[in-house]
Amino acid sequence: MHALTALPSSPRLQPALTLDLMRTTTTTTGWCWGRPAPCLPCNRRSPSSLHVALCRRPSDHEVGAGDADDVFDDLFKKYGKVVYKSGDQKRPTAEADDDSESLSFAVTLAKVANEVKAADIRVLFVKPLVYWTRFFIIVTAFSRPQIDAIGSKMRDTAEKQFNKIGSGDTKPNSWTLLDFGDVVVHIFLPQQRAYYNLEEFYGNATSIELPFDNQSLFRS
Amino acid sequence: MIQPQTLLNVADNSGARELMCIRIIGAGNHRYAHIGDVIVAVIKEAVPNMPLERSEIIRAVIVRTCKELKRDNGMIIRYDDNAAVVIDQEGNPKGTRVFGAITRELRQLNFTKIVSLAPEVL
Repeated sequence: MHALTALPSSPRLQPALTLDLMRTTTTTTGWCWGRPAPCLPCNRRSPSSLHVALCRRPSDHEVGAGDADDVFDDLFKKYGKVVYKSGDQKRPTAEADDDSESLSFAVTLAKVANEVKAADIRVLFVKPLVYWTRFFIIVTAFSRPQIDAIGSKMRDTAEKQFNKIGSGDTKPNSWTLLDFGDVVVHIFLPQQRAYYNLEEFYGNATSIELPFDNQSLFRS
Repeated sequence: MIQPQTLLNVADNSGARELMCIRIIGAGNHRYAHIGDVIVAVIKEAVPNMPLERSEIIRAVIVRTCKELKRDNGMIIRYDDNAAVVIDQEGNPKGTRVFGAITRELRQLNFTKIVSLAPEVL
């Protein structure tokens, strides 16, 4: 901030200072698209002091305006791409890693359901539709003991292999839901599955191909 | 701030239109119910030719309140109406779809079924 106070008195210092300021904004406030306009703040969260400094400069020191343009051109050449914030926002690669991890978890749970003879298993990638989870597994079971078996086996697998403890229904229910955070499992009785019709509600979600469906086709 | 005698809208397609709270479940000595609490309610108004009828006694989960909901990060959520979703004894919703925006606090309170039927989660 001491740099800001020195700014109006020494026009020569401007380029270096603005460069510094631009660096701080790109690193602390996240997305910065393309060439920043001098009189408009780059985004809403930029500090107010910076905003004032950028807006006042053309009126106070009009001689330095050409220099500033050059500086902005240089900046655009250097940092003209999308600049990611290093703080809480995840990089796309990390996001993809999380997705693939959840996908393997979901497919494993679907395999477990297949082992306990659940029918009509569907894995939906619902991340583009809802923010609160990534995958839905929708499964039909034909009796409450079977629901209990599927649920307890899924919980065991999740705890042993993936170290995840699910919340949700503990007793077998006509619609039993297991919530593992990124993966949510719905176990229905056939009637309830037709009644709630979750597949239709999440009709825009992409369905994931499951490996064992093909195997069962070969057997039959 | 839902208490006995409060009228609530119904935020699902179960067939009820208006509920009156008659009891808060699990509140003990507390006076008011908030988002995520289960209440016992009586149906004051119902849609014709639907399974639920007027003056039936049901359970419902509160999903929207005019009273502000505060989050730890300082966010405050306040709706224009008091609304509830009708559930059965097992906790399954009676309707098949939930209307309007609901909060993510319901998921932490193990009402993920309602959250998964909702069109928008705040």
